[in-house]
Amino acid sequence: MRPATLTKRFYDLVAPDIPNEWDVEEVLDPFADKSDAICEAALGHVPVIWPVSHSLCYDFLRLLPEALHTLSLEQIPRWIGTTLDLYETKGLRAAQRFMQDDLKEYLSKLEGSGGLPLSVASKQLLPYIRGIARDDLRISVSRQCYTDTRTIFVPEEVNFSTNYDTNFLLYKLMLTFQWGFIACNSFLSSPNKTQDLQDFFNSFKSPLLASAIYQNLESIRVRVFLNQELPGLMKAAEKHIFDKLQDESQHPVPQSPLQLAIIANREDINSLLAKTLCNPDCKAYTEGLAAPHDSMRITELLYKDSEQGEDESLLNTFSFQGVFKLGQVVTAGKIKEQKMGEELSDLMATYLLSLSKKELAALMQEDQDKKSGNNLAESDVTMVMDSEFAGTAKQDIDAPLLVTINNQEIDLPQELEEFSKTFFKEFGHLPAKFISSAAGKAGHLMLEQDIESSSKTDPTPEGATNISYDEWDYRRQGYRKNWCTLHCKSLTPVHSSFIRNTLDKYHGLTIRLRHQFEMMRSQEHFVKRQREGDDIDFDALVESISDTKAGLPGSDRLFIRLQRDERDIAVLFLVDMSNSTSGWINTALKESLVLMAEAMEVLGDRYGIYGFSGMRRSRCEFFHVKHLNESYGDKVKERLTSIAPSEYTRMGPAIRHATKILQDVDAKARLIITLTDGKPEDYDDYKGQYAIEDTRHALLEAKTADIHPFCITIDQEAKEYMKHMYGPANYIFIDDVRKLPVRMPEIYRALTS
Amino acid sequence: MKQQNQRLEEHLIIEKPYYLPSGSEIEIALAAHKNGLPLLLKGPTGCGKTRFMQFLAWKLKLPLITVSCHDDLSTSDLVGRYLIRSGEAVWTDGPLTLAVRYGAICYLDEIVEARKDTTVVIHPLADDRRELPIEKRGELLNAPPDFMISVSYNPGYQSVLKDLKPSTRQRFVALSFDYPSPEMEAEIVLREGNVTQDIARSLVKLAGMTRSLKESGLAEGASTRLLIQTGQLLGSGIDIHTACRAALVEPLSDDPELLGALQEMVSSIF
Repeated sequence: MRPATLTKRFYDLVAPDIPNEWDVEEVLDPFADKSDAICEAALGHVPVIWPVSHSLCYDFLRLLPEALHTLSLEQIPRWIGTTLDLYETKGLRAAQRFMQDDLKEYLSKLEGSGGLPLSVASKQLLPYIRGIARDDLRISVSRQCYTDTRTIFVPEEVNFSTNYDTNFLLYKLMLTFQWGFIACNSFLSSPNKTQDLQDFFNSFKSPLLASAIYQNLESIRVRVFLNQELPGLMKAAEKHIFDKLQDESQHPVPQSPLQLAIIANREDINSLLAKTLCNPDCKAYTEGLAAPHDSMRITELLYKDSEQGEDESLLNTFSFQGVFKLGQVVTAGKIKEQKMGEELSDLMATYLLSLSKKELAALMQEDQDKKSGNNLAESDVTMVMDSEFAGTAKQDIDAPLLVTINNQEIDLPQELEEFSKTFFKEFGHLPAKFISSAAGKAGHLMLEQDIESSSKTDPTPEGATNISYDEWDYRRQGYRKNWCTLHCKSLTPVHSSFIRNTLDKYHGLTIRLRHQFEMMRSQEHFVKRQREGDDIDFDALVESISDTKAGLPGSDRLFIRLQRDERDIAVLFLVDMSNSTSGWINTALKESLVLMAEAMEVLGDRYGIYGFSGMRRSRCEFFHVKHLNESYGDKVKERLTSIAPSEYTRMGPAIRHATKILQDVDAKARLIITLTDGKPEDYDDYKGQYAIEDTRHALLEAKTADIHPFCITIDQEAKEYMKHMYGPANYIFIDDVRKLPVRMPEIYRALTS
Repeated sequence: MKQQNQRLEEHLIIEKPYYLPSGSEIEIALAAHKNGLPLLLKGPTGCGKTRFMQFLAWKLKLPLITVSCHDDLSTSDLVGRYLIRSGEAVWTDGPLTLAVRYGAICYLDEIVEARKDTTVVIHPLADDRRELPIEKRGELLNAPPDFMISVSYNPGYQSVLKDLKPSTRQRFVALSFDYPSPEMEAEIVLREGNVTQDIARSLVKLAGMTRSLKESGLAEGASTRLLIQTGQLLGSGIDIHTACRAALVEPLSDDPELLGALQEMVSSIF
């Protein structure tokens, strides 16, 4: 093809963009002497890559001539597909590197000789492990396999066998085994104890060896536990994985009997174990009666033996056993402890405030006496919370918890007591720090009438309407009057190809959605007992004749009519525009709104789209994208495109405003659908329990006004508070933001049919 | 009259239905019956609401008239209508009227499926009036002490249009049902599904796993009923993996990824 033709074709393909001439010439030059088929193929892929990334498109054209030495023309589309996937998950650099360097590796994968990547397996593995563990564990990528008790890390790819099923099984085994360590309590119960375990390893000359011995012993426990708990998995593992591992020719380093026991068939575990352990211990392990402290004790013994014999074989572990990273376990445990502690302290503060004034006064009296003359701004309440039997050798978690404040005992409500017990069970102690801070918080509030010092009010932006809303303060069980100022603005329209690209990207889905929503619209059904209609309603006719015979006036509603159901639904979409939505989340939010809007246009339900953000109570912002009765025109589309992350998530005022808008609308069902990625949170004290309670209250207000609130959230941690805020069955949780555009119309359909 | 009695007797439960109480629900229901209060049962699909009603009816030795509600259910379907028999108009009682007239238990299953204007018909029956006006006959039926009305629904559905009106809701003594504890559920599966204890325990374990998948996109986990059905398939000689697939996994979802994960759980446990 002639260079001029090539260039012209290229410009046509990327219109309305006008790329630099010299860039285009540089990449297109090498194609001048290529066959027409190759040129067509190259140009054919330009519209696919160009909208995603211009520079990736140049790279593609630059590298294509060389790639064609190894790839055939038919393989190019898949190669580009993989590149674009990489671009979307890992960014431009990764995609460029892949195109440039990883061609060989890619080819080997194409030929089926490669392993199984996690990205392929994880879609099934994640719900699998969550179901098995009955906990929201996460799966993440790491070179070595390990767990910090919240996340299980596995290698990016498993290349154990050429068989897909075997590789998948190995992934499954890795995850399940790591969960086994958690379930068998191998890391001991609390972060402090895990730290002790680490110290125990460090007390040896070779902590690595000690840790490996301990891990192998624990693996035996896990193996026995899994034999019992998941016999199916272990049978499959014995057959497909352990067999191969037992083949010694595969292992240059000899395996210790201990290790062999981990991968032995279940009948052989006992005999192999007996080679290393003395009889009672051996029995305890094979019968699943051993505990982590047994493993610690035996570690000491085996360590001595192996040091004498300089037996290095005990150092080895299998890939599915992974490694123990106790430091990470401690960190994860502490994060959890911190979170639960904060929650407990919030609960405690709420409770203290709910005590009657008199009780509080009595409690505070002593405190004030102590610091008479002192400024009361900082109260210091001594608070002791403990189990009745704490300190005695045998701690009984069922014993009632006692809380004393300044030596006065108070009774705890059930909810608080249960939470404290869970905490106690999990961490072996109660969070002293948090409890005293709760007492501090409560005390602080009791003594100071006005909580908030007057905050600086920002000047009102021009062109905005300001409305004040009350905010719910759960600590005083009342509203803070006119606390938040909401500025209603319009988003500045932005001209871009976002909408077009989205519609292209989800072309198939849009068509399907249109069809599905059209079906919803024409919910045709026969209505019986009509005065006029298309057909005779025989039931009614018979009844009417019977009535007449019985001496009653017969009905004249004797016809069946085909009626279209009026849906009469009004819905507001509230989009979280907080900072945390930047990147993929924002794109996914916008894409789902575009698809929703397309579907809603077909359906004919009235809908509005608003965004919310803001900072501090004086500047909550409510952005108009589309009013309820506005048509879905260019201006709306441009505003929709301009939805971008800005500041914080003060959800209360936004919901209150949406409620107000919907209150004036007459519809059979009115809905507020909130799209968010996390907890409500603002720059000031609008955080944690306070924010959740205010939002909950705003939602209750909406419900009182007969408006149905619903939330779609993509927060990983959302589980606990969502139920509290929205009530069961009023929210849905999406674990992968990429699924949002697909799921959202589905959710809406389920909600309103 | 004789014919009516015969119709009613069909609803008597003669054999004791198997029901394992998980709390004080039987005492509460008996007390509600004694005081003429209506009963509202809520809980997920297949957790034993209907079985509980059968057990209660058996215990009270009263006929149980069950109406499965749907959105085409009209007031006359519940109360009754005139029919023509050999040229004569004959009044035929609907299930609700039948229960009121002879003091039986009327159980409206999945009440939220019925249109709201239909459910209003039970209002005068469900408060202290305990009466049913039959407009067409100009008759006002007073319910005898034995009559009881009970309704059930599943609060897990996420449709805005399917909810109980507060005015309906606030007439009932409400009992919340949930899946039984693992030990009890295993006992139920063992008995009803006729399987060994090991299998029953493993099935319950599997059900527990599916129930924790709610946040991953599964609307509802496996119900006790599904476990029993799996057990029954097993009893007819179908192998465990196939039985689980057909009776437990496939009914739960259409999503290929979730199905895959569920199938992996099955193959891990068995």
